[in-house]
This record gives sequence, C-alpha cells and structure tokens, in this order.
Amino acid sequence: MVHGSPVEIPRPSVGVSVPRVDGAAKVTGEALYVDDLPKRDGELHGATVRSPVARGVLRGVRLDPAFNWSDVTIVQAADIAVNTVALIVDDQPILAATHVNHVYEPVVLLACADKAKLARAVRAVTLDIEPLPPVFDMEQSLAKVEIIAGEDNVQKRYLITKGRADVKVEPGAVNGESATAIDAAIAACDVVVTGRYFAHHQEQMYIEPQGVVAWWDTDGAHATGSIQCPFYVHKAFTKAFLLDADRIHITQAVTGGGFGGKEEYPSIIALHAALLAQKSGAPVRMIYDRKEDIEATTKRHPCICEITSGCDRDGTLRALSIRMIMDGGAYVTLTPVVLSRGTLHAAGAYRWDDVRIESIAVATNTPPNGAFRGFGAPQTIWAIERHLDAVAKKLGRDPIDLKEQNVLREGDVTSTGQVLRSSVAGAECLEKAVLASDYRAKRARGPVVSGRTARGIGAAVFMHGAGFTGSGERYLKGKVAVDLLAGGRLGIRTASTDIGQGTETVFRQIAADAAGIAVDAVDFAVPSTTTCPDSGPTVASRTVMVVGSIVENAAKQLSARVRAEVEAHGGTFGEATDRLIAREGPITSLLQYAPPSFITWDDTTYKGDAYPCYGWACDVAEVEVDLDTFEVTVVDFWSATDVGKAINPVMCKGQIEGGSLQAIGWAVSEEITWRDGHITNPRMTNYIIPTSLDAPRFQTILVEAPFAMGPGGGAKGIGELPMDGGAPAIAAAVEHAVGVAMGSLPLTPERILAAKQASERTSA
Amino acid sequence: MSLADLHFFKMTREPSLDALCAVVAERHAQGLATILYAGGTDWMVEQEMRAPLHDEPPLVVDIGRMGELRGISLAGDSLRIGAGTTYLELERSAVVQARAPMLVRMAKDVGAVQIQARGTLGGNLATASPAADGVAALAAYDATIVVKSARGERRIAMADLQTGYKKSTRAADEIIVAVELAPPPEGSPWYWRKVGARRAQAISKVALAGVAVVENGTATRFGVGMVSVAPVTARMATTRALVLGKALAEITAEEIDHAVDQDVTPIDDVRSTGEYRSHVARALTRDLLRQLGARV
Repeated sequence: MVHGSPVEIPRPSVGVSVPRVDGAAKVTGEALYVDDLPKRDGELHGATVRSPVARGVLRGVRLDPAFNWSDVTIVQAADIAVNTVALIVDDQPILAATHVNHVYEPVVLLACADKAKLARAVRAVTLDIEPLPPVFDMEQSLAKVEIIAGEDNVQKRYLITKGRADVKVEPGAVNGESATAIDAAIAACDVVVTGRYFAHHQEQMYIEPQGVVAWWDTDGAHATGSIQCPFYVHKAFTKAFLLDADRIHITQAVTGGGFGGKEEYPSIIALHAALLAQKSGAPVRMIYDRKEDIEATTKRHPCICEITSGCDRDGTLRALSIRMIMDGGAYVTLTPVVLSRGTLHAAGAYRWDDVRIESIAVATNTPPNGAFRGFGAPQTIWAIERHLDAVAKKLGRDPIDLKEQNVLREGDVTSTGQVLRSSVAGAECLEKAVLASDYRAKRARGPVVSGRTARGIGAAVFMHGAGFTGSGERYLKGKVAVDLLAGGRLGIRTASTDIGQGTETVFRQIAADAAGIAVDAVDFAVPSTTTCPDSGPTVASRTVMVVGSIVENAAKQLSARVRAEVEAHGGTFGEATDRLIAREGPITSLLQYAPPSFITWDDTTYKGDAYPCYGWACDVAEVEVDLDTFEVTVVDFWSATDVGKAINPVMCKGQIEGGSLQAIGWAVSEEITWRDGHITNPRMTNYIIPTSLDAPRFQTILVEAPFAMGPGGGAKGIGELPMDGGAPAIAAAVEHAVGVAMGSLPLTPERILAAKQASERTSA
Repeated sequence: MSLADLHFFKMTREPSLDALCAVVAERHAQGLATILYAGGTDWMVEQEMRAPLHDEPPLVVDIGRMGELRGISLAGDSLRIGAGTTYLELERSAVVQARAPMLVRMAKDVGAVQIQARGTLGGNLATASPAADGVAALAAYDATIVVKSARGERRIAMADLQTGYKKSTRAADEIIVAVELAPPPEGSPWYWRKVGARRAQAISKVALAGVAVVENGTATRFGVGMVSVAPVTARMATTRALVLGKALAEITAEEIDHAVDQDVTPIDDVRSTGEYRSHVARALTRDLLRQLGARV
C-alpha cells in the first residue's frame, strides 16, 4: 500500500506525481539499511587488509605472533575455491594471491566478534610485498612504459567508421586505412579544428557506504546488503563457491543510493563476507566506512579525447576523427562496456558525413574504475561539446547556432549508421531551453561584469541511449513476474532494485494503470534472487523503459484474464480474482522482454541500431565567476529534457535535478587527488560534493517525445541523461564570463587561474 | 561510523572552574592528558580517524555546561566572550552584532548550522590551527586570551599565542576561559571573506578578516588575520605597517602585493595550491583596502 498516504491518487496514475511509496519509512527511520538489520546469532564483524603498494609481488603474509589470533578468522587467497570475481573478463582475484596491482587491493580478510580487536588485528598483519614500478598515467600505459596487464596493457578497443572512413577493416582490428581516409575527408573541409579534452575521476558518493551481511545454512549461501544488481552477486557466488544456482540467496536491503557504484562492486564485498562466514561458521557483517569506501571502490573512468573535425564555412559539420583513451584501472571489471557507451556517444547529438572513432581502454595501477551514472558518455559528451564550442568560435558564431544547425533530427543517421525514425527531440529541447533561459539575449549582451564578478551563460546539447547497447537486451532476456493476489491485487516480483530513484513507486503506477486498478492495490516484492526472476541489472537507464514495459505487459495479461472472468460470471474485479485463484491455484504472469523487432546491430563492425531510442536534452547554465578568486557559482540551470513520457513528473524532475547537481559537482569541485597511487582526499570533508547551498535554481522543462515501445504511453530512460550536459554547459558559461576556454575538468578556481595566467602569457 | 562505534572513554563533569583546574593539574603532574570537551566538533572527528589501539580509556571532561566559560558581556571598552560560546550564540548576540559584527559574519561561514550550534570559540583557539576561521577573526581584533590553571590566571595577546603549526604558548594545564577585545567604535568598517571549496562545510583555502578605524582617509586602527596561508594564523605585520603608515588613497596595488607576499608563506595541500593561495591573499587584501578607500 502507499504508506500512510492521505492523498487520493487519481486513475489513471501515470502522469501523476504519486507520493513515493518508500518515502515515509525512510523519513521516519523505519527503513532498515544493511547496518540497521538485526544482529544474527553469533555474528562477527569483517575487515579487509589491503595493499599499501601500487604494484608488486606478494611474497608473504606475516601475522604478528604477539597478537592473540584465537578468536580471529583469517581468510587468504588459498582458502578460495575459485579465486576470481566473475564479470566480463576473469582477471580480478577476490584476494590477491601472487601480485598486487593497485593500492587498496584486498589481500587478507579478518573476522572477529569484537570490533575494536578486529581493528587491532588489521594492524597486526604485515604484507610482504616486493614493489615493482607502477604505471598511473594512461598514456604511459598505452606507450607500454611498463607492461602491467596482459600483453600490451590494453583492456579493450573499438573502432567506429562511417562514410569515407568506412573502408573495409578486419573485424575488431584498428586499421590504418580508415585513419588515412578520415584524414583525407577532414583535409577536404573548409574549416578544421583540433582539440584535446580531459575528463577526470568521480566518486559516486552515495549516502550509504557499501555493506553486506552474509551467512551459510542448510539452504546454502545467503547475502543481503546495499546492492544494485542482486543477480551480479549471484553470478559471482556461483563462480567462486562452485555452488548450484538454487544454493545462493542474494537479497537487497534498503539501499541508500548507488549511481552505478553498487552495480559491480557489491560482488566483491559480498564474496568477502561470505568467505569469512564460510570459514568461521558464523554470520559476518562487513560495512565500509566512508574512507574505505572511497579508497577501495570504483570511480568514473578518466578519459582523454583528441578530436579533429572538419566543416563547411557555413557550419555544416562534415568529418570527425576522435582518438580516445580511457583509464580502466588495475582490472577490467565493466570497462569494455563503459568504453563502448563512451565511444557510441563520442560524436555527440550531431550529423556527420564521415566519422572515425578509435577508442582504447588501458590498465593503470589504480583501483578499477567502473559503473557511474552516464557510463562513459559524460566524458565523451564533455569532449565533443567543448570541441563544437571551439569550432563555433573559429567560425565566429554562437555555439548554439552551430549546434541547432547540426543537431540530429528525424530521419538522420548516427555515427553507427542508425536511422533515427522517431522520438527525436534534440531540436525541441534546444529551442525550449534557449527560450526559457533567454540564452540568445544574454549571449548577445556579452558577459555582465558587476563589481568583482562576471556573469556568463553556456549551453550543451546531448542525447543518451536508453537501455542496453545494441543486442544487449536480446542476450539479457530480462524477466518479470506479476502475481495475481486475493481481492484483485497484483504483486510485482522483479530484480530491478529501488536504490533511491523511485522504481517501487513508478512500477506500481505502470502496473496499476495497465490493470485498471488503484496504485495501492499493487505490491512490490523485496528484490531477491530466490524469489524474483532475473530482470537484468538496474543500470543503463533501462529500468522504467525496459523492465517497466515487461511489468506493464504482465499486468495487462492478468487483468485481461480477470476481466474475462467478470464478463463471463459477473462480480467485481476482486471477486473475479478470488474465483480464478480458487479454481486454478496461484496465478502468475512471468514474461520476458521482447526487444523492438526493428533493431539490428553488428557487434563486430559496431554498426546498426546502437540503442532502441535516445533521450534528448539541452542544458543551459548561467554562472558567476569571481574575478578575484575565480570561484564559479552556478546561479541558474535550465534543462529541457525529453523523457518520452513522465510516469511520475516530480520524481522525473528529481532525477534530472539530482543528476544535474552531480554533473555540477563533477564540473566545478569534485576531484580525486592521488599520491603514489594513494587517494589523499578520501573523505567528505575534502572530496567536495556540492551542498544544497551550492545548488543553483533549477528550471526543468519536461519534453515528451514518446517511444512507441515504452511503458505508460512512451517512457524512455532518464537515469543517466542528466549527468551528461552540466559540465560542458558550465565550461561554456565560464568561457563566456572570463574568456578562458577550459578543456580539462574539473573547473576548480586553481585551474581557471592557471589557465588564465597561461593564456595571458601566450597573448603577451 | 555511528555513535555506537565510539571507543570507550571516561566522561565526567566538574562543578566549577577551580575544580576543573585542580583535576587537570593533578593529571598533568602524572603525565596524563585531560580532554576538555566543549562542542566536540574536532574531537569527534579525531575519534573516527583514530584506531582503537589503547586499552586505557582517556578522561574526557564535559565543559559544555560550565557557567564560568559562558556569557558575553561589554564592560567599558572591553568585550568579553566566554570560551564556551558557540558560533550560533555569537550570531545571535545583540552586543556582538552591534560591537563586533565581523565575528557574526565569520561565524556564519563556519561549517554549517550544525557545527555552528556545537563548535565554540575556545575550541577553535585550543586547536590553534592556521585554518581556523575564528582565530583569524580574533587576530584581526587583536584580542587577548584569558587562560586559567591551578597556578592562576593570565592573559595572552593573540600576537603571542601561536608559535608554530598547531603549537601555542598556552601551557598544557591552562584552560581557555574567555577572549577579550576592544571593539572599534560602532559603525567602523570591517571585512570578512572566506574562500572555500563550497558554500558550506568547507575548511578555508584562504580567508581574510579585517577591522579598521579610518579618520580623514587614513587608518588609525587596522587589524587583519588571514587563514591557511602560513603555519600559524597570519597577522600580516608588513601589511599592517603599510596601511597604518600612509593615506589609504596613496597605497598602490604593487605595495599591497609586495607586503602580502612578505606576510604569507602558503603551501600546496589537499585543499588548494600555494600559487592560488598567494594570488587570493593578494586579491582579498586589495579588495579589503579598496573598500577602505585605497584606489586599487
């Protein structure tokens, strides 16, 4: 039921801002996050001994003989059946066995009932590591200064070619002919611009750090915790413990944010807790504190993009060549997929005749980078948007005019050859954001200098592919079960988790409308691998659009049966449901996702329909730059965002504003600082995310260009899109205000000052 | 970390300042430290960062309710502020608003309202950090610190307080009781500018506090304190001398920059760079003097 809600929710509920179902329990403290779960009998605390060295040979582990180890459980690599974290490539050990490849790499696990003693025990372990020269810089890794991973440090490569660059290449190979062809295409253009752009690490900084409780019993292994994707953990247990699927039970606890950070990492902490639980025979609780969480878990991939483009004198974009490198960190984890999405978004929301995008992910001796809202796209959209700003400058035009002239429209073809048939709203978003912000008048006026501050305005136009890339959904075969329950209720069982984004509420709205019943007549089961089917992971802006459409179809199917029963034998919806259940026993609709039939995708050539559809947006940022201190204040932020159909407008705007604020933080203040592979600012006091006082006035315009296959009348993915445009819009605004074109993130006052001084030196 | 994870410690209260002085003196004689707990805003953070390696629980004395450390009073030309006064109390005090408005403005930039409600001026002085906003403000007012021990009471001028990074001339058994300052006439100009990495919950990259009395275009009183540009709170002796020595309108930007460069020795750290701090130190000082009438 809608918890304590005094609000009468209209029907249909889609398009209505139904109060969050989970809101009251979270606000009152009733909701149990993993560290709040009642202590289990005999429970131990778990801790991790981590490498202080970035790269080396692990010679041994010494336990202080003066320490009383009698009540401490110790797990090392040798204790593990299969010492591999199951993901894409099996290169990451659960515990380092012979080598360490990054600082904070887990080597030894300890468990003890006494938490204070456990902390002392961690210090009583000495790792005997023979250091090897580490590589921290992705270009040095690519140059093979040291070989630290595989044969050449390369984790993954892609090549996208279109038009004249589309010469025959060996599948998967990076062929020189396409490079020659794109160079020729660019050389033939009137105006050529080259630039280099850098995007930096970002910490997810979910409010609740990672945590898991694991235990074993006659049913097998159990883990519950702060988890985005229970079936990822399930897969990891299958591999590591050599267990049958039905002997593994992974359940989500109430989760305080994820942003991708709890996509793949929970497999590691859950494996660690379960290993300690297995060896000790007791339940084990592992909760990271903020420092350990920032140090050990994944971050956004840093990315360098070198872009050369050619266009006509009238601004028509013609040819694009991009060479991009991403820093995957010490192990592959999800890097191939992040690199893929980054590559597929690198050409931006624009038409190009000839395209060549060569992307490479390399290993460095830093903790593995992983999933983070946007998944590679914010990095490459940052680059292409900054690049188009530079092209506009060279042409003597306002960037928004150049972008409007070239933005993809219905019938246009993307860099992978995808024909955009419908639900294409880039131009509409641009028009609405520009109008709402009075962008053109403010640009024309030039920067407004008042006292010691200068005010400027900038914009970014972008699209974000919704759902899995290419044929991903076809392989995934996401499933949802909806149960018909007594009295005419429905119960949704899905592995899609609500980690704060509102899934529980939105799924209820979709199911209720599909079945023609009230929202509070729909239940949502706690996601668990034992009781829920695998709906695919809670990632990639796919939950509402993909899984929501399965929910919708399943609810429709059940409702049709009940309504047929009403037709045949009368009574209310509830009475007919009870008769059906009495006659047939439990009734469930278990459906699998049917990807749109029009999608064709070739993984070897990277051609075809990269995504079933795209969300579109235009962000406009107005900033004030202090001319003494170069502090950047984002004063106003307009976003016109195409969501297909807003199921719940308030939560939809919440996603857009929250994502935009995360983008603002990434742009102006967040920065991971390193020394010898160690993070020097692993705390909320010195890793600077914005506070509410740093948030601008948000003016969010929902644009609805429905996707025919989306639920609730055309919903598209919205989770990641708002992360994409903030940084380039702010950089453009800073450039407008103080005339400094920043190509590297973040735009801290220190960097803006240094760039300004450098540009003054150059012009002097 | 939750409160449940706090390591064991013994916590007591003392009935009077004299009793507290006696306890501190007795433990000091035995080589034992006593933690004086006022707002706890530093101490709580230290507990989280400290591994629980010692079995001997420390003694923590809660001085948050000690009446002799509280209260704000104006007697003649002396404003006395109890060491246990919180930032929020400073903000809300009518006498501080009227006579030392820069302290009010400074207090609003400390942490956020939660920290302002707990943190105290005395605590800020006790840690003696060069990054302490409150200490810079008191330096600008050329305040005096009243300390007391079993050996008696004495006063330390702000200029004599800090001797090095987090080091001070206050003895280990001396308790900070109050600060005293001579407020400039009502309506005198003052300056506070904090540059942090965000608008709240930020430790200063640089902050500048200033108070002045200007007569006929010349400063007859000028005090400044700058945060996070030296191992101690920077009192800016060269800059003070420059400003007090000539008509404000005659001071040039070059002179200011030169004086500031003499007065600060900023470093690169996790919060900023030395180069940026130097630039901001000069820019804020120019801004302050511009507001006083310098044509820079």
